[in-house]
Formats: sequence, structure tokens, C-alpha cells
Amino acid sequence: MSMKSLTILIVDDSATMRALLYRVVGLADLPIGTIHQASNGAEALQMLESHQVDAVFTDINMPIMGGMELLREMAARPEWDDILRIIISTDGSTLRREEARELNVNLYVEKPFRPEVVRDVLCQIASVGAH
Amino acid sequence: MSFAKSPALAPTELSDALQTALINVCENAYFVFVEACDGREFEELVRTSGETSTPWLRATVHFTGETTGHVEIAMPERLGAWLVTSLLGMAPEEILSPHQLSDGVAEFTNMVCGAWLSNNLSDETLFTLHAPQVSPVAPGWTPLNQPQDDGWRRVSMNDMPMQIRARW
Repeated sequence: MSMKSLTILIVDDSATMRALLYRVVGLADLPIGTIHQASNGAEALQMLESHQVDAVFTDINMPIMGGMELLREMAARPEWDDILRIIISTDGSTLRREEARELNVNLYVEKPFRPEVVRDVLCQIASVGAH
Repeated sequence: MSFAKSPALAPTELSDALQTALINVCENAYFVFVEACDGREFEELVRTSGETSTPWLRATVHFTGETTGHVEIAMPERLGAWLVTSLLGMAPEEILSPHQLSDGVAEFTNMVCGAWLSNNLSDETLFTLHAPQVSPVAPGWTPLNQPQDDGWRRVSMNDMPMQIRARW
């Protein structure tokens, strides 16, 4: 079964965390097409407007526009319904997780995270798009 | 006050929990063991690791919400660099730019503070972490001869000293 090439968007104000996720995604041994990066939700929205994206990995606490606001904006756009949404955040509180559920987040990953968690969700995305 | 999960934790227990969060982040993200130190052990470690008068960094992350406060971490620059290269799978001898070092230490502090708050705030409490600030320690500051009742928890990480405390 062939797997589709994935386009990923990483959203985090920390260059270190973006670099880590970039590395983890690259090590997942999956067909990764393009990995876009954004340092806040507003930049991420600009990326989504101009690129076809399969999955968004986003932090919550970011300047200018945070992750929850980004996800609310995405939820209001039906053309983005098929984009998988993964939160990767230091905030693992119960209330935040509930808020994420209401915004159709597919997976909530608390930092620090194990690389295989990211690999497994990427496998899921790749398999869904297979022909 | 809805800081602590039920049953309510005393300040000392919250500080213990902060140290636990630090240890968990280090072991799970950086694959490094951390050992708690008392004052004497810490000073011995500072001397034997050669970090008596080397550059140290202080990272602070503020949190707001129903509970406000901040977490501070102080560490030698050398330890900060090790943390960043370790996390990113870089060669240990690779030279980091000041921004890479600062950003990496900031993210480390962010993870520790987030882990501590997530595990110790009540379920009905939301918090917001603000961008961590990283800077050299104040001129004249030394890791030696610090007051023992200053709230710092001191640890050994990869045979290098680090200290952490929270204020709320």
C-alpha cells in the first residue's frame, strides 16, 4: 500500500522546539514532502492560506496569536476540515485538553514528548491518504 | 486559591514537585539523570566541575491565571549548551549561536514550568506561560556561599550544577 507524501506545518515560537519537531518528523521514516514552519498562529494562518497542508503541529502559548486562537480560526474554515490538528504543549491541564477537544484537535501531546508519539500520528496521516 | 490539586500541597511539597518536574523533563526529554544536592554537595560540585567563575545563565518564566508567579533556573552556560545539543542530536562540540543557546535554555525552562503547573494545579485552573527570559546572571553573583534558605533546589545534572526555584 503506497503512502502519500505529507505536508506538515510546525507552529511554535521556540526555534529549538521547531528544530526538534523537524528532526523528529524527518526521523519517522515516512514520505514527508514539505515541512513548513511558523512562529505564531498568525504566521500559521498565512501559511495555510497559501499551502496545502496535511497536518498542523501547534504549541499553545505563543505571542501575537496563540495555538487555541489558531485552532478556532481553523475550525471556522470548512476547507480546512481535513487537516489533522495536533497540539504539542507544556500545558497538559485538564481544562486545556477539554478546550482542545471542542476544537476538533486530533491529538494532544504534552511536552516533553517521546518521538514515537509523533511518528505514530504521522503514520496514521500517511495511511489515511494512501490509495 | 486553586493552586494545588486535592489534597492541598504545602509550599515545601510544591517545591518538591518542582524538583520532580525538573527530573522528569530531564530524564524523558534529555535522557539524563538528575540528583538532588544539599548545599555542601552543590558547592563541591561547582568546584569539581570547574564552574566556580564560568559564565552562568538565569532563565525565568512567568505564569499567570488564577495563580501567578514564576520559575527560575540558573545553570552554567556549558550545561545549557549541552542541553540544547543533546535535545537536537547535535555533536557535543558544536558551537551554538547566542540565540540558539538562549532559545534552547528558554524552552527547557518552559517545559519544566509547564510540567510542574500541569501536574499540580487543580483541574479547574487554566494557566498561561509567558515567553521565558534568559540572561547572564547578575555581575558579582556566584554559585558559592549562597544562603541556604533562599528557596533554591540544587541538583547535579551530567556532573554539572543547576538550581531551580519557584515563587507564587
